[in-house]
Amino acid sequence: MSVSSDASTRAGTPTPPRVDGVTAASIRARKKLRNDRAGYLFLLPWFLGMLFMVVPFFASLYLAFTDYNLLNPPGWIGLENFRTMLGDAKLHQSLKVTFVYSFVSVPLSLAVALGVAMILNRGIRGLPVYRAVFYLPSLLGGSVAVVLLWRYIFGLDGVVNQFLGWVGVEGPGWTSDPQYALTTLIILHIWTFGSPMVIFLAGLRQIPALYYEAAAIDGANRFQQFRSVTLPLLSPIIFFNLIQSLIASFQTFTQSFVMSNGTGQPADSTLFYNLYLYQKGFTEFDMGYASAMAWVLLVIIALLTGLNFVAARYWVFYDN
Amino acid sequence: MIRMAGLSGLGLSLAACGRGFGGGDDDAEGDAVQLNMVWWGDAVRAEKTQAALDLFQRKHPGITVKTEYQDSQPYKDKLATRFAAGEPPDLLAMRTDSLREYADRGALLDLSQHSGILDLTGVVENARRLGMVGDKNYGVPSGLNSIGFVVNKTLTDKFGVAIPDGNSWTWDDLAAFARQVTAKSGRKVYGTVFEAATLANLMVFTRQRGEDFYTADGKLGVTEGTLVTWLEMIEKMRTEGGFPPPGFIDPSIGSSPDKSYLAKGTVASQIIPTNNFLTYNKAAGGNLVLLRMPGEAAARQRGQSIDTPALWSVSSKSKHPKEAVTLLNFLINDVDGAKAAGTTRGVPANSTIAGEIKATLAADDRTATDYLIGLQAEKLPPSYTYPIGSSKLYGILSSLSSEVEFGRKTPAQAAKEFLAGARAALAK
Repeated sequence: MSVSSDASTRAGTPTPPRVDGVTAASIRARKKLRNDRAGYLFLLPWFLGMLFMVVPFFASLYLAFTDYNLLNPPGWIGLENFRTMLGDAKLHQSLKVTFVYSFVSVPLSLAVALGVAMILNRGIRGLPVYRAVFYLPSLLGGSVAVVLLWRYIFGLDGVVNQFLGWVGVEGPGWTSDPQYALTTLIILHIWTFGSPMVIFLAGLRQIPALYYEAAAIDGANRFQQFRSVTLPLLSPIIFFNLIQSLIASFQTFTQSFVMSNGTGQPADSTLFYNLYLYQKGFTEFDMGYASAMAWVLLVIIALLTGLNFVAARYWVFYDN
Repeated sequence: MIRMAGLSGLGLSLAACGRGFGGGDDDAEGDAVQLNMVWWGDAVRAEKTQAALDLFQRKHPGITVKTEYQDSQPYKDKLATRFAAGEPPDLLAMRTDSLREYADRGALLDLSQHSGILDLTGVVENARRLGMVGDKNYGVPSGLNSIGFVVNKTLTDKFGVAIPDGNSWTWDDLAAFARQVTAKSGRKVYGTVFEAATLANLMVFTRQRGEDFYTADGKLGVTEGTLVTWLEMIEKMRTEGGFPPPGFIDPSIGSSPDKSYLAKGTVASQIIPTNNFLTYNKAAGGNLVLLRMPGEAAARQRGQSIDTPALWSVSSKSKHPKEAVTLLNFLINDVDGAKAAGTTRGVPANSTIAGEIKATLAADDRTATDYLIGLQAEKLPPSYTYPIGSSKLYGILSSLSSEVEFGRKTPAQAAKEFLAGARAALAK
């Protein structure tokens, strides 16, 4: 949506209003119906998908209140699973890992995404190529192959440590030392900044150059322009990216599963909430507890998202 | 990695379909019964298993076998979901530490009901007991193994370090040996490495100190003192240099022989399950020497035991229990089948068969077989069926031992926490 196309529409000859009101209304109604039908048609795949979602969704809600070992029928135990959670040190560790991971990696990856988007927005030649190159990691970041690749890069004798060796530093075990293992996964997450970047780029292009010109005339430097023009106008986009990334990061699973072979080791430092949930359900046969954990995660994500929406009133600026 | 094998099976079932549209299901006499058999392992094991199954299908034209295999970790998860979904396989490989988790919940067939088909007279008592819960039999060892210490002779020759005598060496000898290798290689190769958390390793150490890791009534028998000594011993070797520094073992590597540090040539010795000797030897350059575990000669009681890499079990929901048990009987008692399958799951549980296939084995393969046959002839303490919850113990110890490795917890703290965690896991 650019200024010029808006202008041309406005300049075009307007269609004369129909004299016959009834016909106009019926045409409008028919048009609306057709529109609705198209809308529902587009929604159809989602509805079909929902059918497959709804049953497991409510089944897991029921299972959360049961003791279910996969082999015998579930038995109702009320709130017992939730009570056990209060005293489960491993669960608390997994929450800590997940919160640290999300609260560190989400802001950092958004900052990197915004930074790269701003550089790309300055009208570099070959923009589509760069955009694709930067976007690629976020398509691959969660995939097993890339995590495997990262294992080699961050292995004890991997690329990173070889490089550190040249400058005389003995690198740590990036994936085997509990002090660094989570950091390595955070770096992997930041590297996949592509999808928020593409959205930022689209947002930046919508900010009219006019504002920057006006700011420049008023004597604002680049930083002031960024703070007073870019950030407020981009804030809805930042908000959107924040919510999306936060939800996704709370659901992290593949990275730690592959990196630690499904164990959450070393010393539970990469035991993400979802990995622990998986361990509970599928290696310890405690599917009731795992279902309860899934619902707690849902509540945590809902609360965080809700908090964000409340906070958004104070910093997100809607143009219209 | 799931593979469906047996094109011949496909041919047979197509032929069965061609006979007519009626029935469809295969309870009628003469129609081909299809069995689903699942297990864990690698491509080599798959090839050998398939060779044995081809023989079986030739001898039993009415039965076709569709087999699937995976690596051990994903296998465990997949098996659980298949049981949960109500579509368990007919014949399956079962981990000894999960046996009771399935059996006590009624998921496995009591094989003693089919003693007319399944002949276990050739299997020694100690081995047969691996699959028994009370007087019920829920599994038969797919083969027998133990653990052993392998030393890479190419490396020790290179650095001029003598390999200790495997029949008399102690844990101190191991530490001294490891220290020498590390020192003489200029820290390029570490003397030894093994996982502190692998229960099979710890169990040997526990028994040598006169305790049972699990008691006969399914309780935890290992004492805090033993755990502390075990962890301290490893940390001492680490400080001396014989054992690699913290962070050396990458949790993402997994346990496959060709990715092991032995194969990479960065350690000179390691503990392995003996049925994997052949694969480790191939991966490490073909010059491995197999020793008994350290400390056996001087121990209060023998630490090593006869174990099985996997039990064969039949699902209680199998639609074809008779055919599944027939296949199981073939795997245990058929000479030709055993020859085709080789020793990938250990030495055959049937000792007559074990004697017969020995002659056909390659020299390389005979090493581990001789080792085990030697052990079988000795009086060893029995291993009891693992109690429910034991599959959780490795995870608990693995996390605590890495805390010790990085100096975040003392061996004493870790031992205490392990006992508390393990007792809670077993009590549930």
